[in-house]
Amino acid sequence: MLLASALSAYALGASAEEGQPVDGGTVIAALNSTTIPTLNTQLTSSVPALFAADVWADGLMTYDRDGKRLPRLATSWETSPDGKTYAFTLREGVKWSDGQPFTAEDVVFTLNSFGKFNTYLTKLMPLIEEASAPDAKTFVLKLKQPLTATLDLFDKEVFPLMPKHIYDGQDVATHPANIAPVGLGPFKFESWQSGQSITFVRNENYWEEGKPHLDSVIFALIPNPQQRLNAIIGGEVNWFRPEVAQVRASQDAAESGKFKVVQIVNNAPETSVVDLNLTREPFKNVKVRQALFHAIDRERIVQDVYMGLGATAKNAIPTQFKNLHDTSVNYDTLYAYDPEKAGKLLDEAGYPLKDGKRFTIELTVIAKAPYDAVAQVVQSQWSAIGIDVKLSTLDQQIWTNKVYTERNFDASVISLTGRTNPVLGVDRSFVCNEGSVPYANPTGYCNPEFDKVALDASAAPLAEQKEHYRKYAEIIARDLNQLQLTNSQVYEAVTTNLQNLDAQFNFSFNTHPNWAEAWLPADQQ
Amino acid sequence: MLRFILQRALYALPLIFVIIVVMFTLLHLIPGDPVQSLVGDYPVPPAYRAVIEEKYRLNDPFVVQVGNYVVAVLHGDFGFSYQNQRPVLDLILERAPRTILLASVGFAFAIPLGMAIGVVAGTTRNPGTDKFWTTSALIAYAIPTFWLGQLLVMLFALRFGWFPTQGIGPLISRAHGFDWLLEKARYLALPVLAFAIHEGMRFARIMRASVIDTLSQGYIVTARAKGLSRGQIIRNHILRNSSLPLVTIAGYSFGSALGGAVLLETVFTWPGLGLLMVDSIRLRDNLTVIGVVIFSALAVIVMNLIVDILYALLDPRIRTAG
Repeated sequence: MLLASALSAYALGASAEEGQPVDGGTVIAALNSTTIPTLNTQLTSSVPALFAADVWADGLMTYDRDGKRLPRLATSWETSPDGKTYAFTLREGVKWSDGQPFTAEDVVFTLNSFGKFNTYLTKLMPLIEEASAPDAKTFVLKLKQPLTATLDLFDKEVFPLMPKHIYDGQDVATHPANIAPVGLGPFKFESWQSGQSITFVRNENYWEEGKPHLDSVIFALIPNPQQRLNAIIGGEVNWFRPEVAQVRASQDAAESGKFKVVQIVNNAPETSVVDLNLTREPFKNVKVRQALFHAIDRERIVQDVYMGLGATAKNAIPTQFKNLHDTSVNYDTLYAYDPEKAGKLLDEAGYPLKDGKRFTIELTVIAKAPYDAVAQVVQSQWSAIGIDVKLSTLDQQIWTNKVYTERNFDASVISLTGRTNPVLGVDRSFVCNEGSVPYANPTGYCNPEFDKVALDASAAPLAEQKEHYRKYAEIIARDLNQLQLTNSQVYEAVTTNLQNLDAQFNFSFNTHPNWAEAWLPADQQ
Repeated sequence: MLRFILQRALYALPLIFVIIVVMFTLLHLIPGDPVQSLVGDYPVPPAYRAVIEEKYRLNDPFVVQVGNYVVAVLHGDFGFSYQNQRPVLDLILERAPRTILLASVGFAFAIPLGMAIGVVAGTTRNPGTDKFWTTSALIAYAIPTFWLGQLLVMLFALRFGWFPTQGIGPLISRAHGFDWLLEKARYLALPVLAFAIHEGMRFARIMRASVIDTLSQGYIVTARAKGLSRGQIIRNHILRNSSLPLVTIAGYSFGSALGGAVLLETVFTWPGLGLLMVDSIRLRDNLTVIGVVIFSALAVIVMNLIVDILYALLDPRIRTAG
């Protein structure tokens, strides 16, 4: 609350001082990898590609700070009463960065050509009956059955639009344009210095009048987190997103006044979790799972690992989904930290203490902050109630193979992002997954009752969804195939010479700057 | 001499074949999924997996993959990097000069530094001086380069602001000519310093041992008896004779440095072969990994050859025997 009011106070002060935007100048933003296989975010969910897409790509809609939908290239949209037909009216006179006109054909093409490759659309694609463009400025989507999340799937981050005239008739998945894109964003691709930087310059064809203000945005490719912080302290970059463990250090360094650390108020959920392998003893027993949850002091993880920059997770639906999260299911009371109770539950489950030990399990995690630190806290707390926990900290690819492909694990720690709707990032943790798809429910939990609730929830009209998601959260709180530990906050570090920060961060869910709004004072370009 | 070089080149061929087979086998054994690393931490849509696996022939039987690769390498084709969307050879030819620059300038400082400390510690009559240099060199050598690098950045880049914190050059530059060179040099300074301190201390220890060994030789006693000054003895007799072991060690370590100083390149965001290697392993870009390993092996072979030639130049006995 204090932080929120401090932020709004800053915003007011800033708009009074800033005055009129001026054009010109270059901003350098740090991305966290030297190798970026594709810039096309229809094909990847990798973080550096998503940040780069902010400058060159655009979509039908986005969200404002309160989570309300904002028109981008669709000026309006209508849903039929049966929830099966969506009609989007497109903005007129818009051109691609190469000067070709943008029409509804491009939207249809993007959906038909890229939809099957887009990880977020796996739920939508089988439900599509037809996507069509009755005229140049109308895009119509007909579904076989309603999916309430449909509009969320046309958010610009999840569904960036792709030019038909570039890709048509070619292999779109490996097309050269995926690393030298043509888009609708405020900047256009200029050049790529391998391993070093990617340069985007002003898109003269950009649809928003008078924007962007900057001449160019350069992405510096800096894989080491400490070096990203060093680079902003040294004045070599203007923007980077600190990792959770770095936020405090960044805030301290920001006292120099060269940059500030801004909290993204309504960020996409980022939930740290423990997946439990329900096909194995002792996790088959729900009492054991409850005991394991009671044995974790989640507030301690928030304080020690996330340095207080987060909160304990309340239930399966992250609190960011304000309209869907029901406060009646609350882990803080349901599964309050209580090692004694945990011990009792384990006794009842048939795992009494024998020579100071109940059973042995392996806890596996990626060797990367903050996951490894979360796992260490969990390990010590489970050990305290007599569970012998062997920690195996692995390379990400080996961990993925072990947990998801081979399902050869007992318990596993990871942090998952939720995007804009439970359909995108939450369902995957609980819905039955009989294959070996990575980053989707590896626990062997297959509950037809739950799957139906999840499906109904996703198809219910907006006003009724919350009730469905309450049931959703209740079932997970009862079955506990996964323990949701914490929900962390997101921060970005920006140099103080960058103006119009308020408008720049005026959005929800995607934690990405709106570079079209940013500008630099004439004397600092 | 030419025959000697050709012979070495012929030795390299079976070595490279072995490297290819061993690397393919190792990479095949490590769990990993290149398609997953393309998509990130969300499920891979089946259609996307099918297209990528078909395009890059990821599902070919192991033997077919190795066979195709060996044939391609014989034709000078080192494969295509799907994580960088370009031929592996292009990628290596672009990254290698950066690593070579860092290693060469680093050695240009490390060798005189190591020789100076080694000679001072080895020839001093004061045991205190010897102890001081030997201990300092040992401590400096024991500091991990990534930590040393961070310390240098904190001190010289963040506190004093003399040098940039990372990178191989400014992303926006209006400099030309000499200014441009100076600008480049500023980016090179800290990584080179970290490199030179680490390698230099190693050389210092070898040089010291070698100098002490040389001092006990009969010709030094003779030189002393002839009444040569200390400086003359060091310059004319000790330096040259003590350098042979240093040349060997420096040659080997230069060869392996050309494969990329992984930690140093990471700490200073120096996108040479080391960073390329780290990224390629992380993203399971196997052909790039193998390409870099082959390059490193070739670098070591070439450096060994150069060491042998330098030996002959430094030591007339080897020259006449050859």
